[in-house]
Amino acid sequence: MIRFERHKLGNGLRVIAHHDRGTPMVTSNILYDAGSRDEDPGATGFAHLFEHLMFEGTSNIPVFDAPVMMAGGENNAFTNNDLTNYYITLPSNNLETALWLESDRMTGLDLSEGRLMTQKSVVTEEFRQRYLNQPYGDMLLLLRPLAYKVHPYRWSAIGMDISHIERADSGSLIRFYNRYYNPSNAILSVAGSVSPDEVFMLADKWFGNIPAGESNGRLLPAEPMQDERREITVHRPVPAAHLVMAFHTAGRNSREFYILDLVTDILAGCDSGRFPDQLVRSRELFSEADMYLSGEIDPGLVIFSGRLKDGVDIRKAEEAVKEELGRLASGPVTSAELEKARNRYESHRLMSYLSASNKAFSLAFHELLGDAGGINTETEEYMSVTAEEIREASSRVFRPANCSVIYYLPEKR
Amino acid sequence: MKPSAIKTAPAIITPSAGDTSFPEKTRLGNGVPVYLLGNGAVDLLRIEFVFNAGQLVENVHLAASATNAMLTEGTVTHDAVSLNDLIDRTGAVFNHTADKDNAGLVTVTLTRKLEEVMTLAEEVLFHPSFPEKEFRMLTEKRLQAFLTGRQKTSVIAREVFYQALCGERNHYGRITTPDDYMSLTTADLKEFHSRHYRPDNMYITVAGRNPDQALQVLQRHFAGTGTGEWQKPVIPELIFESAGPGMIFREVGNSVQSTVRMGWKGITRAHPDYQGLQVATMILGGYFGSRLMRNIREEKGYTYGIHAVAGAFHGIGFITIMTDVANSYRDDTVKEIKKEIRELCINEVSGDEMALVRNHLMGELARMFDGPFAMAEAIRGVIDYDAGADYFTRFADTVRTITPGRIKELFNKYFNIENAFEIIAGAK
Repeated sequence: MIRFERHKLGNGLRVIAHHDRGTPMVTSNILYDAGSRDEDPGATGFAHLFEHLMFEGTSNIPVFDAPVMMAGGENNAFTNNDLTNYYITLPSNNLETALWLESDRMTGLDLSEGRLMTQKSVVTEEFRQRYLNQPYGDMLLLLRPLAYKVHPYRWSAIGMDISHIERADSGSLIRFYNRYYNPSNAILSVAGSVSPDEVFMLADKWFGNIPAGESNGRLLPAEPMQDERREITVHRPVPAAHLVMAFHTAGRNSREFYILDLVTDILAGCDSGRFPDQLVRSRELFSEADMYLSGEIDPGLVIFSGRLKDGVDIRKAEEAVKEELGRLASGPVTSAELEKARNRYESHRLMSYLSASNKAFSLAFHELLGDAGGINTETEEYMSVTAEEIREASSRVFRPANCSVIYYLPEKR
Repeated sequence: MKPSAIKTAPAIITPSAGDTSFPEKTRLGNGVPVYLLGNGAVDLLRIEFVFNAGQLVENVHLAASATNAMLTEGTVTHDAVSLNDLIDRTGAVFNHTADKDNAGLVTVTLTRKLEEVMTLAEEVLFHPSFPEKEFRMLTEKRLQAFLTGRQKTSVIAREVFYQALCGERNHYGRITTPDDYMSLTTADLKEFHSRHYRPDNMYITVAGRNPDQALQVLQRHFAGTGTGEWQKPVIPELIFESAGPGMIFREVGNSVQSTVRMGWKGITRAHPDYQGLQVATMILGGYFGSRLMRNIREEKGYTYGIHAVAGAFHGIGFITIMTDVANSYRDDTVKEIKKEIRELCINEVSGDEMALVRNHLMGELARMFDGPFAMAEAIRGVIDYDAGADYFTRFADTVRTITPGRIKELFNKYFNIENAFEIIAGAK
């Protein structure tokens, strides 16, 4: 049980405080309800580029990192399709430095052309390093536009195309900043050895006088139901073929999310899962076979990802995956499989509680979903999943017409 | 322009490293050292077994990592499938660790499953069966991963760097080929296992809430009769035949970026300059605002990241700078790296920069000691390389007292730009 207190400032900033007495540190985590799903299809990668600019300093604090380091802290951020998240972890007696820095860059960011030019170049190199110069690096970039035709999940947080980053101008970035970087569109979560009363007092001191701005209130087009199998084949300079199969699922706040999360654990979460056991060990089709949820807030994907063994026909491999998924839809999982998944959930949940920064983000994320208390109630969601729910959800989701497939093949030599 | 928040900075309290004292060491009945790290907040125990069973002691290349990976692929009492089923039912994590100098197993378990998990840990560490079918599958998988690595400029550059620096007649500089995977046999693994996975060749760390509750269980499983008394690990003598410094280019066809790696021979942990060199390297390329990051990333935009590290194995230390840049930027990147080093050899860092790095390192030390799980990871390097129980306390002292003059001296002593290894892996 993670105890926390919640308070909303007059300008709409939601503040969550978790008192962790076991650490000398504290994490200030600020989550903005703005991700790549909020971008214009002609200007993708903006939310992430903006994250880079948030480290570029203000007229008041020209070098963002300097005070963090002087205070003995470390900081970073990430952007995904749903949100942008910034965190600073530092000795708890310096919490105020973190709040000063966050409140300052919520209002006074330096968006000059020079800073922008450099970060466009840095992001271009990030794109190359993480997606183009890595074997199999572009696989998920290919998957999104295949699986989504309408919803903005059809592009990755890094952007649809690198030319969008190259074209980004400071005018649209300033609009993005003014629109989304406001107290009413943010959640501040603080976890560490500071009492909630002090957290609320300091939050009010540093953020209280910032005008509310607008909350997101996004209206996104729903992805229409997929009604036929989609497939693409690409050839790349890689040593082994790779199969990706993705199925549409319900959103993060649905019961289906928890059911399928356990399903992916039963299939591929551990070495004795059905995929390692059947597809890797017994039938020797794959050298590794994974399955996971994309985990997005709007309806997302459940993704199979498997590296083929040499000489295996990819269509035969795909048939074997379908057979395993079909087995879930036709018969119940065993009580031993369910118990294993529950034990694994319990130990992984406790492991995630070891770090105050994990707890800080998790609380903010659940608050974004609607209630920070979800961090505690989701245990019951997992523990109560039944074999029948698994069978029913599997037959609903793992249908051929709901599937997008990538055959990622080695270039012919 | 938005209306701004309060501008006045709050006062910063100078961070301290906190309590950096080394954990209590006790021993099992047969002498196996056990380090206890307490005060965990949740009902989990992290128990790590470390053996002097890395590449350092192998006679056949790749035997150490293959032996380690095969531990959970079947034992004398359970085949691979039922063994993994038993492990997974406990909810525990079994992580294999195999590096250049050591190998072992990290287990993380719910406290209530401790007995079951240690029974399984004893089984996989001391009674593996190395079945042929699982070994063949593992070999195929490892070979596939190796070939995938051949496509990565960063992997190629790292390999070439350590080969040039250490020479090929030791495990740090040795080059791996597909044949190394294909010629390895289960007989090699069985031989390696019987020689090195022994209670008299290991130590254990226990981290979590009330770690001493694990002692009795460990005693039962790892201090049985007839296993011999624990001995201080023997480090074999190593031969280093470094190539001369200079520029080496390796072509990686079609790569959109090149990896640039520069470096020098460094010093080992026992050297009086070692800790100072850590601070110097931090200034050059150890944090977001470091000299190299500011220049190559934040001013030029050539890269997503550039880092400098000073480290050490047994018998040899190294200093290395690494970055991935577009092919067209790589020459200028090398030039700029040299420019930054030259600057640090000529001019002392300012008091502000010195204070920044001091405080940052103090914060890092505090984070390394933030909770028993973090500490268990931090102390590994100190134990494995016999760096002394006062290592972190001495490091905190160095960080507090080192001067800009001393930093400049270290740059002149260890970063000789005329004499660097320069590796570039990328498209022609």
